[in-house]
Amino acid sequence: MDPIPVRSAVRAGVVGSLVLVYVALVGLIERFADLKLVGEQVTLGRLLLFLPPFAVAYVVARPRVVAGERRVAGPRAGLVAGAVSGVVTSAVFGVAVVLADRFDVVRIRHVFIAATPGLIDFVTFERGVVVGIMILLVLGLASGALGGLAKTGDRRLTRPLAAGVSTVILLGLLQRIVPIAMQELGIEPDFLYSPRTRSLTWGGAIGLLVLAAGADVLWNRSGPETQRRIRATMIEQPAARVGILLIVLAVLVALPLLLGSVISQVLGSVMIFVLLGLGLNIVVGYAGLLDLGYVAFYAFGAYMMALLTGATLNTTTGSSAAAFSLDLNFFIAIWLVVVLAAGVGLLIGAPVLRLRGDYLAIVTLGLGEIVRVLTESRWLQPLVGGPQGMRGVTDAAIAGYSFRNPQHFYYLALAFVLLAVFVSWRLAASRIGRAWNAMREDEQVADAMGVGTTRYKLLAFAMGGAVGSLGGALFAVQIGSLTPASFQILVSITALAVVILGGLGSIPGVVAGAVVLIGLPGLLREFEEFRLLIYGAVLVAIMVLRPQGLLPNVRRMRELHEEEEAQDEWVHRFADEAAAAAAVPGGTLGVEEEDLT
Amino acid sequence: MRKRKLFSLLALVAALSLVAAACGGDEEEPGVTGPTGVTATGPTAPAVDCDADPFGCVEVSAGEPIRLGSLLAISGDVAFLGTDSNHGIELAIDNLDGALDGTPGQLLGHDVELQQEDDGCSAEGGQAGATALVADPSIVAVIGTSCSSAALGVADTITSDAGYLLLSPSNTNPGLTSEEAHQPFYARTAHNDRIQGAISAEFVYNELGITSAATINDESPYADGLAAAFRQNFEALGGTITAIEQVNSADTDLGPVLRSIAEGEPGLVYAPNFPPGCGLSLIQGADIMPAGTTYMGADGCLETSFVGQVGDPPADYYASSPDVTVFQGGAYYADEFLPAYEAQYGTEPTSVFHAHAFDAANILFDAIEAVAVDDGGTLLIPRTALKDAVLATSGYEGMTGIVTCTPLGDCATDVTIGIFKYPNWPVEGGEKPTDAVYVDTKSLADVA
Amino acid sequence: MGTDPQVREVRLSRFERLPWRRIILLALGVTIAATVGFGAYRTLTLPEGQRYSVSAWGDFVVLGAAQGSIYALIALGYTLVYGILRMINFAHGEVFMFGAFGSYFFASAYEESGFLERQPVLALAIILGVAIATSVVVAVLLERIAYRPLRGSPRLVPLITAIGASLFLQNTARGFFGSQTRGYAKPDFLSGKWEVLGVAFPRVRVVVFLVACVSVVLLTLFIGRTTTGKSMRAVAEDSEIASLMGINVDRVIVITFAIGGVLAGIAGVLFAMTFEAVNFYMGFQPGIAAFTAAVLGGIGSIAGAALGGLTLGLLESLGPSLILTGYHVPSPFQLKPAFTFLVLVLVLVFRPGGILGAGEAEKV
Repeated sequence: MDPIPVRSAVRAGVVGSLVLVYVALVGLIERFADLKLVGEQVTLGRLLLFLPPFAVAYVVARPRVVAGERRVAGPRAGLVAGAVSGVVTSAVFGVAVVLADRFDVVRIRHVFIAATPGLIDFVTFERGVVVGIMILLVLGLASGALGGLAKTGDRRLTRPLAAGVSTVILLGLLQRIVPIAMQELGIEPDFLYSPRTRSLTWGGAIGLLVLAAGADVLWNRSGPETQRRIRATMIEQPAARVGILLIVLAVLVALPLLLGSVISQVLGSVMIFVLLGLGLNIVVGYAGLLDLGYVAFYAFGAYMMALLTGATLNTTTGSSAAAFSLDLNFFIAIWLVVVLAAGVGLLIGAPVLRLRGDYLAIVTLGLGEIVRVLTESRWLQPLVGGPQGMRGVTDAAIAGYSFRNPQHFYYLALAFVLLAVFVSWRLAASRIGRAWNAMREDEQVADAMGVGTTRYKLLAFAMGGAVGSLGGALFAVQIGSLTPASFQILVSITALAVVILGGLGSIPGVVAGAVVLIGLPGLLREFEEFRLLIYGAVLVAIMVLRPQGLLPNVRRMRELHEEEEAQDEWVHRFADEAAAAAAVPGGTLGVEEEDLT
Repeated sequence: MRKRKLFSLLALVAALSLVAAACGGDEEEPGVTGPTGVTATGPTAPAVDCDADPFGCVEVSAGEPIRLGSLLAISGDVAFLGTDSNHGIELAIDNLDGALDGTPGQLLGHDVELQQEDDGCSAEGGQAGATALVADPSIVAVIGTSCSSAALGVADTITSDAGYLLLSPSNTNPGLTSEEAHQPFYARTAHNDRIQGAISAEFVYNELGITSAATINDESPYADGLAAAFRQNFEALGGTITAIEQVNSADTDLGPVLRSIAEGEPGLVYAPNFPPGCGLSLIQGADIMPAGTTYMGADGCLETSFVGQVGDPPADYYASSPDVTVFQGGAYYADEFLPAYEAQYGTEPTSVFHAHAFDAANILFDAIEAVAVDDGGTLLIPRTALKDAVLATSGYEGMTGIVTCTPLGDCATDVTIGIFKYPNWPVEGGEKPTDAVYVDTKSLADVA
Repeated sequence: MGTDPQVREVRLSRFERLPWRRIILLALGVTIAATVGFGAYRTLTLPEGQRYSVSAWGDFVVLGAAQGSIYALIALGYTLVYGILRMINFAHGEVFMFGAFGSYFFASAYEESGFLERQPVLALAIILGVAIATSVVVAVLLERIAYRPLRGSPRLVPLITAIGASLFLQNTARGFFGSQTRGYAKPDFLSGKWEVLGVAFPRVRVVVFLVACVSVVLLTLFIGRTTTGKSMRAVAEDSEIASLMGINVDRVIVITFAIGGVLAGIAGVLFAMTFEAVNFYMGFQPGIAAFTAAVLGGIGSIAGAALGGLTLGLLESLGPSLILTGYHVPSPFQLKPAFTFLVLVLVLVFRPGGILGAGEAEKV
């Protein structure tokens, strides 16, 4: 129950203010100043003013290690420290606001385009600088205090509240999607979303809060016991497993019917990136080969599908035939594409076999760029259409049932995703998978043990390429038209982010990663401008805070944390010894106060 | 045991594929071609229209607004283009009451609402936005897209397949209205780039007297199309193209390309790209090409950022652009429209295409008035009839010129292109006087 | 030999005994050399009207060398960090971009007020100072926030973080400064050309080349002669032992990033003055190119980075013009990145350590 040093709280407050200044200057506050979440008053912009002090206070209030002892702060200490850091955050930010105001905002605007008079007005709540800063201080105090309490308060209270608030925020952000989904299901959304402001109604918000909090309480109360029982059932009774699988499948199949074509479209894109993620997961996750040019396979699959199903080149006068094209049915062409892509994977893998991690990364990056440049080139224009691109990719129709419709496409993509999941899963559990594990952990040792690294590396590239090109081919079918603009390096980076975020080597992780990185931005189109900024921040945050990803593969997690666990063990042993030594008069180790990173 | 499982799986998949392939029909015909050539001049037709219309009617109940969709580039680096066009549409809605006074007017007794979607200047964005709009049965028609890449084979197909009219204020890619690729529900008030390329070529050959030129385009379909149109017309006039080069829009070092072009000693370098590429070709060209070489760009370059980048002109630079000021609506534009724009949005227009968007919206309103049927308070707007009415627009005097739509969707038949010499450009930062040094009006029939 | 019943004598067929890898490599090398040689030959023997003049070749070389110098300056930063941390600092291109952007505001202010004309040297010095300061700050922050917590992680982790940091910094710049390209001022004494022996060199490009050369020399001296340099070499060799010897490893790493930042800042100003443009994505392509250059020359070595940069610049300039023209490839300069990366792959196939690197890549 020790208090948290003021020094830390002040330091945290300064960091918080820098974060707040950053959020303001990068344009987030201004852009979302009008996005109403609940009623008319709670806008995303105001929420963004509230978040940095809250977050910083939360971090300040966490347990610290003092002299080998782990000290947890009590709620009162948390509240005080949080309040202090919150006030400091607002104070420093207020100073910045005053400076901006005095300094003639126009001049600052020449450098930072987001520093408009409108922004100053907004952060001062349209009441002038003096009153605005006072409001900011109060807001900072409150949010900081809440943040400190959130960390140090009673878990039984804070967790449900957190669940409730996050649900409200999430549903507020999804204000353009959820009403449509509700209407598709036949429910009138008016009680939840006000038709006038598009935001959540106050009644609806409070209801949601209570519901979500209640659900969390129930889950926790039964929690560990129920989870254990569910897991036991799943292990003991294979019938239950099949049952759950069928239920999941049924839900997946029913989704587009329930949610309408707009959401189905997003789901279709998510499916494509799940495919890309699965393929990259084979190369990076299983075999440990860092591939930064995965877009090469994606483009190959897309253009190959176009060429094999009779797509034409766009020209300035209309269209013309490609130098080489066949008019195959989709269901024949897709396998041809997959086989050819596997071949290309072998071709790409062969020269890079002996390259080590970073070299491999840059070479694969280069290969991705080569493919992009080739698709745009005038040289290959007679084949792939150059800058104008191609059109008329097949819509994979079966007896008139066209798959280009978003809802239908989802089923096509789902079928292939299930196939790819199955293949990945069997690969991981097979001898090949074990060879990859060995190769990934230590190539030299694997070689010495007789694992033919050459062969397995090539296999990884071939399989990864095949799955990736599958994604590309489906993409071509989804859109029907191809331009080189869709095959930039960003696709490679996004695919990598999907795999990393989800957890290397984990199939559920790939799905989770795709849902978060493709699904959410697809549903929250308002954030399109900041999508890459958020991608970058998420990548860094994940790597620093949780490198095993969201749904990690248990084995990999152990690999990553081997050292940490060994170290923890040592620290604990050391702490025990230190405690024992401290009990002896005249013999202490002057360990300085340290934060637990 | 495992291998058997694998084989049986493969066999199953193969069998399924063969069945699917066998049942697979031919490629679907792109959209349904509705009846053409219906001149919708008369007023109300009987309510049986809706069943006869292949795509049905939009029903607007009494008191509900008529909903329009817009699919424009409102985020990202080309946000200036889409936002500007949205402003044009909004001003057209304002103008429904006869005055640009900031209060929106009504159409047939209903308010008009604009549902804005983002085309992201990409095929994916075009698809996502178009899908969102056609999923909403209350949307009467869509004004969009900003970028040709969002429309080509994507948005135009999606909207045509659903019977939603797509009317673009700024697509200039010639392919969109070509015989082979045109979608039935697509039209545009923006010019066809074949015209811009032709007028630019004539200016260079006839006015400037330059007989040899080299083209540099970036990887966008816009630049590629324009450069091709220029080359075609230039050679038809008798000029020689000394080099055809392509660069990447992210390239900064154009030195080697320009040096290579310099070998052919062209009189003009035609680089119809986007900033910073156009600026770079001028700045670096002035260092590398022989003195006296002229440079030219197109409406993509005619922007404030070019002015900021280049500063004092190191060589002669021209840019072509649709010229809205020199037209019958000239006085209206300068005296009423521009002031209203600046008053409502606090800035000068960031692009030219707000005028095309204004015209598009107005044509649409006229067509709605012509085909809508009042069925006891509910307004019924048959989709195909609406499309036909728009495509039948003839002789409409718009801000961009005379608007007469062809069956293939080109509504800007008589296009006026102005050639402006840097730094006297009609953008923020340009030096006055900002008159064009050459103006010409052509129609599609006149160009190659 | 015949005692252990588990060991069987295996006779390899003649097929298996052939050194397959060497044969394939040899065949590949011959094919490539033939392709290149033939292409060059055809380019040089094109009919009179289509051939490049001698002055064109000279210009290609100069342009390539100038661009290569910029790559070299940035590549030095990459190679320094790699040498010490064994990681690719993908975000180094953004450090470069921030330096250019930071100095842009001063440069444009000075140009407007005329200060740039009146006191070009002083103005330039201040501009360089600002660029260096900005770049160093970004580099040090990067190290502190994104890389330090990850020291000792498996190699993939810092790499991903670097990519994320690069995305983040790029879009931060976009959010702060907008997506419009800004024009960068150039002092008068850097505009125009210098005549040397009848050949005209653009002044700014000559300056870039000279600055790159000087930087390489100074950096080599610094690393070789000073104590800090010695510490850096020690940490690069083995950081654990170095720390046991009393070297403050953290401080050395920060200094490394800082030096990289200094070089990037200088490169940023020079780049902006050469091309008279800055925008938020200007760091990405040069970043990749510079890293390619560092790998090409042999990553971890300063001379390698410099050589790699120069080579890359020349390749980008001469590749399309010398080789692709001979095969009548339309618009060859657009294929410049493809050409460059192809060369990289080939170099790494034959010399996995790069040009100046060891013959075989280290397996560790």
